Amino acid sequence: MDLNFTSEELAFRQQIRHWVAENLPADISHKVRYALRLSRDDLQRWAKILGKKGWLGWGWPERFGGPGWNAIQKHLFEEECALACAPRVIPFGPVMVAPVIMAFGNAEQQQRFLPGIASGEVWWSQGYSEPGSGSDLASLKCKAERQGDKYIVNGQKTWTTLGQFGEWIFCLVRTSNEGKPQTGISFLLIDMKSPGVTVRPIVLMDGEPEVNEVWFDNVEVPAENLIGEENKGWTYAKHLLAHERTNIADVNRAKRELERLKRIAKAEGVYDDARFRDQIALLEVDVVALEMMVLRVLSAEKNGKQSLDVAGLLKIRGSEIQQRYSELMMQAAGPLSRARIDEAMEAGWQGDLAMPAPLLPLAGTFFNMRKTTIYGGSNEVQRNIVAQTVLGA
Amino acid sequence: MDFDFSDDQESLRDAVRRWVDKGFTFDRRHALAKAGGATRAVYAELAELGLTGLVVPEAHGGLGQGAIDAMVVSEELGRGLVNAPYTYAALMAPRLLAVAPEALQAQWLPTMASGEAMVVPALQERASRYQLAHVTTRAVQTASGWQLDGRKTVVPAGDEADAFIVPARISGADNDEAGIALFLVERRAVQVTGYPTQDGARAADVTLKASAGALITANGHAVLEDAVDAGIAAQCAEAVGLMDKLVAVTVDYMNTRKQFGSTLAGFQALRHRIADVKMQLELGRSMSYFASLKMGAPTEQRRRAISQARVQLGSSMRFVGQQCIQLHGGIACTDEYIASHYFKRLTMLEMSLGDTLHHLAEVSNRMQDTAGVFA
Repeated sequence: MDLNFTSEELAFRQQIRHWVAENLPADISHKVRYALRLSRDDLQRWAKILGKKGWLGWGWPERFGGPGWNAIQKHLFEEECALACAPRVIPFGPVMVAPVIMAFGNAEQQQRFLPGIASGEVWWSQGYSEPGSGSDLASLKCKAERQGDKYIVNGQKTWTTLGQFGEWIFCLVRTSNEGKPQTGISFLLIDMKSPGVTVRPIVLMDGEPEVNEVWFDNVEVPAENLIGEENKGWTYAKHLLAHERTNIADVNRAKRELERLKRIAKAEGVYDDARFRDQIALLEVDVVALEMMVLRVLSAEKNGKQSLDVAGLLKIRGSEIQQRYSELMMQAAGPLSRARIDEAMEAGWQGDLAMPAPLLPLAGTFFNMRKTTIYGGSNEVQRNIVAQTVLGA
Repeated sequence: MDFDFSDDQESLRDAVRRWVDKGFTFDRRHALAKAGGATRAVYAELAELGLTGLVVPEAHGGLGQGAIDAMVVSEELGRGLVNAPYTYAALMAPRLLAVAPEALQAQWLPTMASGEAMVVPALQERASRYQLAHVTTRAVQTASGWQLDGRKTVVPAGDEADAFIVPARISGADNDEAGIALFLVERRAVQVTGYPTQDGARAADVTLKASAGALITANGHAVLEDAVDAGIAAQCAEAVGLMDKLVAVTVDYMNTRKQFGSTLAGFQALRHRIADVKMQLELGRSMSYFASLKMGAPTEQRRRAISQARVQLGSSMRFVGQQCIQLHGGIACTDEYIASHYFKRLTMLEMSLGDTLHHLAEVSNRMQDTAGVFA
């Protein structure tokens, strides 16, 4: 047992830190540091910088053009990016669909889709949830009917994050109504420019159009866009979910935001109030404990051990912590957080108000964070999964 | 970065676990508790396993092992609900004696390592709560040596120990960190009033009246902090073992007990509760590792890490203990059933060597002075 990183791991961290410092545009990191609005261009610029270096697919094996890093190296890369205030990589391409294409796609699909994901050129979206299928995802109805060498897709997806920017979308579609709901689902890649695809943004309670409804009206999709076998899509989707559970805990961002919380609390004069500071202290303990739990999982992964049964807990805890730090930041700003100045979400805004600009996005961030305990399988669904593991039934 | 145990540590764990399974069944533990909580015979069995000398330097007849080995043993003793004062006698006392004059070390450490001698720290005073600097027991130097006056309370295994390590003030006010010396005081020099504890062991009031003591060090406070931190790390591990076992017992019960035509495991309210219990257990286990792994860090880092760990374990102990009783129902409220004994130990452990609020204040106050935990 050793909590210290090896000298090789530390050298690796230095290398990443140096590169990120050299290559992360200052205007982008400024926006991340203050939770300002990121444009499509901001996100794409950073994705392409990573892509050019070969690090947008930082979790990819070498044979698909990735760096072939082990679990600890991946973690260190993520941590350095987070601490330097890099934007979170939009995961749908490099983190979510790419591993499925690698594991279950054919060689032609791999050659066709992976380069555009690795370079950051192509923006991918995720088509999972539907109006009638939230936590109960397997009940999805969006239908794909095989007609000759193509599928005809009809139905609706929703909560499609940043789908307004999307060029391709990977979808779970119903190809059969036989047997259990899970066994009639297929994994289909759809060009969002196809006739019959309509995207309508949904404004969330923070005022931002972060998610979308996506309609499919007799959309023709070439059959060669089917991943793997028809009706095996649920298995592929589960593979995807199993893939990135430490990532969803987002402990690195939590570490960064904890320090930001302390700075805000100091600036607002509540850090010297023991009752307030104790709340930060409790959060600090929560963050350290989450980090230790993440490191346990990574260490087991690196040593080729079977994945620990704590992995399912990471999503629950990580999302609770995200909500908590955003809540405490808002509470630190106190009555000032009530002002809603939409222009203050843009970098460079300077209004003649009593409160400093960095306080203005805090309430919006808190409102936005309510999603974290709901998406990716609500925390109640996660508890069902944990209970299943613990009780063995 | 590696959370795997070495082969030696795995063997150590197996050895302790085998002894617990064969030699320290719940029936035996229950009978011991009923009969007043005596621990000396149990301590002697731990000595036969070589565990009493685990952290004593090899030069003094011990095994010279470190914090991770202590953690492994403590976790298994927790799992077995072993009532011997292992943390105090085998882990903390040798650490306190490590700064003693060589002759005093040579006099005591070998017999402590072999388990023939049981020496425990006597830290608690009526008004000190968890403040190590609050010491009103006084020591004065006389022609015949040091003499101590004062009273210590709930001293672990106090009426079974052969000697005590006693903090006593040689100068300064009641709460000064400076002026606290440590003494080794033999049993025959003090008056002892023993009693059973809520968690099936023994403790005692130790009254010192012009009692003779051998000086360990005149600068005791930092040494005390170090030994208490080692004790906290061990107790975090003990708590993990206790919780692990209690959760396993609870899961078995949930899969067996039927009400309303279903096993308890069939009810979602209870399934979510056991998921929350599992969360607290694993957060606790993660922070127990953290505590022991940080024992070698520089003082400030170590103290902060220990308090952070203790806050997590405190929350975990309360939640897991209380909810596992609730998940069982009435049966777990009985003295006959195993769960109540684990719960009582967890409850008392939460108030040992600093409770959760005490350590939260430590984390909170330390936070002020640093750029941040990850700086």
